[in-house]
Amino acid sequence: MAILAVENLHLRFSTPFGAVYALRGIDFELTKGEILGLVGETGCGKSVTGRSVLRLLDDSARITDGRILFEDRDLLRLPEAAMREIRGRRIAMIFQDPATALNPLFTIGQQINDVLRAHIPGAADARRSRTIELLASVGLPDPAQMVEVYPHQLSGGQQQRAMIALSLAAEPDVIIADEPTTALDVTIQAQILDLLRTLQRKRAISVILITHDLGVVAETCQQVVVLYAGRVVEAGSATAVFANPQHPYTRGLLAALPRPGSRGSELKVIPGSVPSGLERVKGCAFAPRCEHVMERCRVNQPALASLTAAHQAACFLHEASVHG
Amino acid sequence: MALLSFLLRRLGLSIFVFIGVLILTFIVSRVIPSNPAALYAGARPRPEQVAEIEKKLGLDKPLSEQFRVYVDDLLNGDLGESYHSRRSINTDLSIFLPATLELVIAAVLIALVFGIPIGVLAGAYPRSVFDYATRFVAIAGVSVPSFWLALIAQSIFFSQLGWLPLGSRISRDATLFYPIAAQTGFYLIDAAISGNWKAWLDAARHLILPALVLSAYPLGITIRMTQASMLEVLAEPYVAAARAAGLPRRVILFKLALKNAVMPALTVVGLSFAYSITGAFLVETIFSWPGVGKYVTEAVLNVDFPVIIAVSLVVTLFYILVNLLVDVVQALLDPRVRLV
Repeated sequence: MAILAVENLHLRFSTPFGAVYALRGIDFELTKGEILGLVGETGCGKSVTGRSVLRLLDDSARITDGRILFEDRDLLRLPEAAMREIRGRRIAMIFQDPATALNPLFTIGQQINDVLRAHIPGAADARRSRTIELLASVGLPDPAQMVEVYPHQLSGGQQQRAMIALSLAAEPDVIIADEPTTALDVTIQAQILDLLRTLQRKRAISVILITHDLGVVAETCQQVVVLYAGRVVEAGSATAVFANPQHPYTRGLLAALPRPGSRGSELKVIPGSVPSGLERVKGCAFAPRCEHVMERCRVNQPALASLTAAHQAACFLHEASVHG
Repeated sequence: MALLSFLLRRLGLSIFVFIGVLILTFIVSRVIPSNPAALYAGARPRPEQVAEIEKKLGLDKPLSEQFRVYVDDLLNGDLGESYHSRRSINTDLSIFLPATLELVIAAVLIALVFGIPIGVLAGAYPRSVFDYATRFVAIAGVSVPSFWLALIAQSIFFSQLGWLPLGSRISRDATLFYPIAAQTGFYLIDAAISGNWKAWLDAARHLILPALVLSAYPLGITIRMTQASMLEVLAEPYVAAARAAGLPRRVILFKLALKNAVMPALTVVGLSFAYSITGAFLVETIFSWPGVGKYVTEAVLNVDFPVIIAVSLVVTLFYILVNLLVDVVQALLDPRVRLV
């Protein structure tokens, strides 16, 4: 059952150089209790999609079309006051760099306390014991002391744990984790991902994990959505997509992963670069870089079509196999 | 503990500043070609009178010896005697300094109490009508000369409307019928301590116009500095994180962001506070406010060195104290500063 559904989301930024079409029709569904990986390279629109869900966009961004359904309510049409009750309480967010996403002038305890006070009625000492519980649940050592600690006194991994505790404070149903491990060491990355998985299972939270790292997705996610230039190019269960990638872009990404055992051989890359978004794309955005490009790819945009029940791709290569 | 050692270090540095200013002002006063003894003697003194006074004031001794005597007196809390009026400078300052401090503190409080919230809102709603209106007010406050503002204020609130008095610290009626028992020299505090509310009200009415006029500059910079640093802080990821956590806008602006954005304004207002102790002399003159500004202006015109040195030292002391206070506030606000 889908707890969150993004439908046909279009978004553009106005910049001094003109309009940038950042999202050109994003569709995906987050199944309740699952982790969905939103993957793509820098500029593909994955972070903007995450921020759109909570309506935390800059003034320069405008959502021009689409719906974001959360429990059958369209978040894009909610009044700001109702939206504030959803932020943190129903849908929370974890940011890329905990060093800057935690307020430097307030203790971890004060920051969690603010969130609790905004969302959950209760006495001050109840909030305090709740804070200590939260800090313990994310695996911070000495949680009673952590309450009094400022962010700069923590290591990067501890900061991200504190950030996760902060996002869990008001017991949200959905967490959007925007590159939660990118700013961390590889060893710490694994710990944080492990923590996310554990919490997600224990608390039955649904997670959107935004990342550019396919390895992270393979380890963590049940569902994958691959974005390219503001559109979904491939989506499905992680097993299906990784075992049998159908879109040339996904295949390229997977081929470009360095693997143990391939040491010494040249790393594969996808030639060319991502379109800037400044010009309106005609046809498939990946066409200029695609090795299987056909005439129609440059004219028409392939729609996202189901290959199997758990696997979709937006590529003309598969149209024949689906319909024929 | 970290806070205490931080304070002591800052204090230690300040002592050097104070000694530096002491030496400089003292030397400048002795090398400037003028004859303090002749000044002290009054109109058309005889040469033997001047010589006698030189001896009495110790001006015949070598410079180092004069300096030693001066520092010795200073350490005993004696700022010396005016050459011009022959009054004790300690006594004079005990009257003029509270008058000025009362005025300047009132002005700075007005600047902070109004300037910070205005700056926060202007930063939170950039390119709004409110933003442009406050920009205009802030730039006007900084650039309009205080004497012009003072005259306009007098002509409106005294001449036209008759709401507020023209000048001085208190009305003659108040001094005659319900005099304030002097303790601190701050009329508002002294009157409040003795429960003399009629005199308090009278003193407050006299304070309003000069304090408002004097606050124009610090108000302008408070608004501008707060607005500018709010703009920066509101772009920080932790503000986005606070919004994502669903915190109320009021909490985000006035608690989470303001704490990060308030320091530049406090620093500049601290400097303008110390500057205003002597810099308020135009406002003090127009409002007949018996303060340090007026006092030192007369001393300069009379080449009255002991007064000039004494006031310089007092102003230095306030620069040091205010900067120290700003440092303490910063250390209290920002745990990272205590480590530096």
